[in-house]
Amino acid sequence: MHPHNTPTIALTGATGFLGSHLMAALLEKGYHVIALGRSTDDATLSQRIANILKWFGKEVPTGRLDTIEINFSQEALGLDRPKYKELCQASDQMIHCASDTSFSERRRQQVFDSNVHSLNHILKFAADARLQFFHYISTAYACGMNGTACKEQLPNTTDFVNVYEESKAQAEKNIATFCEENAIPHTIIRPTIVYGDSRTGRSLKFNALYYPIRSLMAIRDIYLNDIKNNGGKKSQMHGIKMDEDGYLFLPLKIVLPKSGGLNLIPIDYFVNAALQIIQNPGTGEIYHISNKTPVKLDEIVNYNEPFMKVKGVEIVYDDSPENYDRNPAEELFDRYIKAYLPYMHDNRVFDRTNTDRATSDLQPAAFNHDIFVRCMNYAVKMEWGEKLKRLGI
Amino acid sequence: MHEPLNTAKNCRHYAMCKIDFLGSGVCASGPEKHYVSFYPQGRMDLYAALAEGKVPVTEKCLEIADTCDLCGKCDYQCYFVTELRPTKAMEALKDYVADHLEKSGEVVKEEVDEVLKELKKIVGDFWATSDRAIAVTYSHDPSPVAEPTMPDYVIMPETREEVSAIVKLLNLHDIPFAVRGNGSSVMGFVMSSGAVLDMNRMKTIEFDEKNWLVKTGAGVTAFDLQKSAQERGYRVNAAEPSALVCANIMCSGIFSLFSASYGTAADNYIDAEFVSKDGTPFKLSDKDAPNLFAFNPSDGTIPAICTSASIRLHPVTGDEEGILIPFATMDEALDFSKECATHRIGMAIGVLGGEYLSTFMAPTKKLAWEIKNTFQKELGIEYLVLVIGGKYDIKTIQNMELPTIDQELFKALYLGMPSLRSANWLSLLKEMSDDEPFSYLKLNGFTDLSETALSPSPEQLAKEVDPELQSFFKKLFDKPEMTDLVWLNMFRIISSRMGREKHVVALIIYLPIDNALIAEIDGEFRRIAEKHQIKNDYGFITPLDNGKRCVFEYDYYLDQNDPDEIAHMQQALGEAAMMIEGYVKKTGTVKSIFQLFTQGFCRKENFLYS
Ligand SMILES: Cc1cc2nc3c(=O)[nH]c(=O)nc-3n(C[C@H](O)[C@H](O)[C@H](O)COP(=O)(O)OP(=O)(O)OC[C@H]3O[C@@H](n4cnc5c(N)ncnc54)[C@H](O)[C@@H]3O)c2cc1C
Ligand SMILES: NC(=O)c1ccc[n+]([C@@H]2O[C@H](COP(=O)([O-])OP(=O)(O)OC[C@H]3O[C@@H](n4cnc5c(N)ncnc54)[C@H](OP(=O)(O)O)[C@@H]3O)[C@@H](O)[C@H]2O)c1
Ligand code: SF4
Repeated sequence: MHPHNTPTIALTGATGFLGSHLMAALLEKGYHVIALGRSTDDATLSQRIANILKWFGKEVPTGRLDTIEINFSQEALGLDRPKYKELCQASDQMIHCASDTSFSERRRQQVFDSNVHSLNHILKFAADARLQFFHYISTAYACGMNGTACKEQLPNTTDFVNVYEESKAQAEKNIATFCEENAIPHTIIRPTIVYGDSRTGRSLKFNALYYPIRSLMAIRDIYLNDIKNNGGKKSQMHGIKMDEDGYLFLPLKIVLPKSGGLNLIPIDYFVNAALQIIQNPGTGEIYHISNKTPVKLDEIVNYNEPFMKVKGVEIVYDDSPENYDRNPAEELFDRYIKAYLPYMHDNRVFDRTNTDRATSDLQPAAFNHDIFVRCMNYAVKMEWGEKLKRLGI
Repeated sequence: MHEPLNTAKNCRHYAMCKIDFLGSGVCASGPEKHYVSFYPQGRMDLYAALAEGKVPVTEKCLEIADTCDLCGKCDYQCYFVTELRPTKAMEALKDYVADHLEKSGEVVKEEVDEVLKELKKIVGDFWATSDRAIAVTYSHDPSPVAEPTMPDYVIMPETREEVSAIVKLLNLHDIPFAVRGNGSSVMGFVMSSGAVLDMNRMKTIEFDEKNWLVKTGAGVTAFDLQKSAQERGYRVNAAEPSALVCANIMCSGIFSLFSASYGTAADNYIDAEFVSKDGTPFKLSDKDAPNLFAFNPSDGTIPAICTSASIRLHPVTGDEEGILIPFATMDEALDFSKECATHRIGMAIGVLGGEYLSTFMAPTKKLAWEIKNTFQKELGIEYLVLVIGGKYDIKTIQNMELPTIDQELFKALYLGMPSLRSANWLSLLKEMSDDEPFSYLKLNGFTDLSETALSPSPEQLAKEVDPELQSFFKKLFDKPEMTDLVWLNMFRIISSRMGREKHVVALIIYLPIDNALIAEIDGEFRRIAEKHQIKNDYGFITPLDNGKRCVFEYDYYLDQNDPDEIAHMQQALGEAAMMIEGYVKKTGTVKSIFQLFTQGFCRKENFLYS
């Protein structure tokens, strides 16, 4: 316990989207945080953390934030014995938020190494440090493709959309077993798809919700360039043209096999809910941080029309997408969003009993046109993350 | 440094100004007067020598300066390869001479000694000289290991009889000599303090189509021979376009991407005529001819002087195309190339570095730098296998369902290259299709999309070059051959661009296609270069003999005028040679080009498997 009676939280993943927001909120609330992470070729961990805090408009708080470079794939997190012991002694709780978030089957080994195999060392640390609580940030999709009703329970399926989900499900099971055997109080927190701040639009990551928009924008720009610099020769061939009202008419069918939506939560809600859970945890419990009303892709397309000044994008529900002749723009769009497609027509319902109890029924803001525009404006301003990279984030 | 002098001193000596590879015509005085001194390369050397006080203004100096009419053709040619503008040096040369005449008027008339008189009797007055304005253009090359050496005589024989008579005369007077093609081996091989025999007047080309042969004189360049063959519907195995074919056989046996099917060394000639080092003419097919088929590790001297060679003609099927297959790792690229070679798929095969698309294709260094990132980092193209083949080869590769860049897409990427700088739609593809690298290439309509996004056009690409050259380059890029992978590779007019940024020293070995061994040696080349702070890069690998062996080129680069870089390069080359020697001994299968130099007429089997 830190001198001022606030627990000291060892946090992994503080250089990532969710972890950085958790870190900022924990510091705001007076916690002492030990960020456990790694350096990059260009910056040390503490430089990276300082850059992130700067983005939050915060200074590195003296005495309440430590950074320790670790390697979870090694015994004692790659630390020498005295350092490891010191870390064990200093840590009261842990939030394990680091994760390889790649969906790529090609990276299976790497994903499993980061998300599952490294848990041996992290859980050993949890035991060695006799943590008061171990909180694991998982994903709602760890419940897999097991029907539409997803309970706040450990996964009991082997059917997953991708290697990421599979690894997170395996991690949950390993954590639950280990923590029970070693009497380590623990929680599993499962957010659905997280986007930027609903009030400001700010975000550090631009995937999921952002990908279809970013893809459409890239495709729009290809044809705008053709119209502007090439007399629109190629565009004409595919019926793409500039309308009199200044809108680009871009006939593009997004074919989804069934109806459904995206289960979106804003980062501000995730942070509030997660903090309330951490402050009021029930051991062994699983919490879905989800939205009771998923957003349909049709709505996003409608919001996007005036935002991007593009008409002609249409959602079609058909379980035989191969029946559709695709023009080059459609081919490219399909390729862009291939990995995210399963999350765009999802009709799983996430049980929130534990979450509602722990968070006094706190709910996420309803996704609407204003939030969409705010978030996308910020994404464009940040060049979909490129600008953040230049800021060392 | 004064700009014209800087230009002159940066001539790479790749002799590209001696061939009409852009269809612009070559410097008019060159084909008439033949000495390299009357080509832009020689004039640049002469200007540098005058400016640095190494030679006086001589009679030939006036003639060399006078025969340049500042037409500007060499700017097109040299800019294409190196981005240099030789006309600045030409103007400086003319100004220097005019200035000199105005100031002192003294023009040195070189002495004609007895040997020179005899030589002139053999070849004619104009074709043998001791004039230092000419000799100096034969006195050096940018090799970091060769000392400049001024020859006493430069001689240009036209016939085998003349060569024989010259050799006898030089031997009689104990005068050492070097035989020179176009000097583009750039290893200091073609210098001598005695005489240099420049073979460039021996330009006969005689086709014997019934026997699928062409007899080529020792002065014929690869470019000119390939062009004549192409006009008749054939192809020959040729490498650097400016290399003289006979010189190239003698020097390296000619390895090219086409060696994958056409072979190398003795695979490509039927017979050859020589003059021995004592002046005796012989033919390889003579019963008691010296056995040049047998491989003798090179002692660095040529076994005889080749005056002509009868080269094999290969058929052209008319349905040939090039196709590029990108890979993220060398292992995958090697496996694929071996697969093609063992199954005899494709006529030409090369495992190229990812930089091929930027360094070789981009018309300027700046653009090459800017788009290198797009290809390598954003698209993850670390290696490319280029295959040239007929329709059945191409179909077979397409059936393998690999992502490919076909001729049409290549053209779009080439002529739309400037737009690649800001093609974020492309980088997005890599980010989003991580699962299957390059799978975007399989999208239906990807070429159409690329054309839409990049707006490829000769105009767009030409805008990258110096403003005064743009109208020429626009017309040039509009020529179908400039974007045709088959033409570009059979004439190889862009490979010399690898020396654009800095002079290149190629390290070449022959070895089995053993991925681990190749990776190890590749790593060693890199380690040695980095230790000596030398720019370096993987060059290419071409399978030979059905994939049993391959030729592997790794490149080191240096600023040819920087003494520090020269010193570093000398150390690095020494270490690299020792490293290669170690593998030669250890493996019994690795062979070095150093063993082959001057032995290129040998049977490849004797060299590779002995
Ligand atoms: C950028 C670049 C890329 C290259 N890539 C390749 C490649 O892919 N494949 C390849 O095979 N080579 C390659 N080379 C090497 C070069 O093409 C060869 O060394 C070729 O021999 C040079 O031809 P040349 O006419 O300039 O010969 P020179 O440099 O003038 O002479 C080469 C050697 O041959 C001897 N010689 C010349 N003429 C005769 C003759 N008639 N009889 C006997 N000996 C003679 C010379 O004494 C000398 O030893 C490359 C060179 C450069 C600069
Ligand atoms: N974002 C969402 O919509 C969402 C939704 C549901 C669940 N989640 C869960 O939330 C957590 C955080 O996700 P995120 O979106 O914030 O991810 P993110 O931005 O990709 O960040 C991942 C973090 O994990 C760290 N990390 C990854 N592999 C590591 C390794 N091998 N060793 C050390 N550190 C490693 C990263 O460190 P570096 O910066 O050094 O790479 C980074 O700090 C994950 O557990 C994820 O499963 C996220
Ligand atoms: S400018 Fe002079 S050196 Fe250059 S090609 Fe023309 S005549 Fe030859």
